Amino acid sequence: MDELLLSKVRLGVVAELLNFDWVAFSELVRALDVSNGNLGAHMIKLVDAGYVEEEKSFVNRRPLTRYRLTKRGRDAFAAHVLQLQALLKEAK
Amino acid sequence: MERMDAAQAREHIEMIERILAESHPRLCAGGEFFVVWGIASAYLTVLFELVAQGAVPVVAEWSAAIVLLGAVLYTGLRGRALGRTLARTSLVQREFFNVLWITIGLAFIVNVAAFRIFPGIASAGIWSVAEAIVLLYIGMHGNRRAQFAGALVVASIVVANFLAPALSAYVLAAGMLAGYTGFGLSELLARD
Repeated sequence: MDELLLSKVRLGVVAELLNFDWVAFSELVRALDVSNGNLGAHMIKLVDAGYVEEEKSFVNRRPLTRYRLTKRGRDAFAAHVLQLQALLKEAK
Repeated sequence: MERMDAAQAREHIEMIERILAESHPRLCAGGEFFVVWGIASAYLTVLFELVAQGAVPVVAEWSAAIVLLGAVLYTGLRGRALGRTLARTSLVQREFFNVLWITIGLAFIVNVAAFRIFPGIASAGIWSVAEAIVLLYIGMHGNRRAQFAGALVVASIVVANFLAPALSAYVLAAGMLAGYTGFGLSELLARD
């Protein structure tokens, strides 16, 4: 199993990004119901692993950080879900 | 290495399913682009018709360049600003914008650089076809207003074809305004 995706928050982030091109940090905080600090720590791990791409900019003088899933992240997610499903099948 | 049991795996799978079910990306069309291009294309259509009928001097055709340039500049700048500021941009939306730029871009090229191949009313017809494609594409993603607007534009093409030639351009322009600009306005109102 992909150790990085064993975390529910990181798995949730990747699932949130799946259907979107870019998603703002604030949107992820809202959608996953986590704190800024908690999500920030998880995002660093996902970015470092190359699963997620980060873009920082300023909109109306306010910082905007957005993320999108890379091909590597998408492939890792697909493989991880297959393994989860296999685990469930075995348990049955 | 962390371990995972079946109960946790089920919990994770259920979370993924819930997130994916809630994240149906709506095809946000960006109403302002439709308003701008609907007005611009209708203006060009009526302008060239009036010039052809001799109701307006040929020199007025220069205003077409200004209108087109304004529409292109607005589209480029606004599109760039929107792309940078949206908190969420869906993959479907990106695909939509690709379709929008390609169809409107091709119609633009036809009008600016292929006017001898598509003379007179033909270039207006190309605008209408391009606009119908964009609207019906959005309609395919479940937007009923786009379906209706696309049908309006298609109807205007068919009606224009069977009317007296002197009226065709006006019918096409009306289709552009009612279908394209009308759809843009309805999107802006729905967003607000």
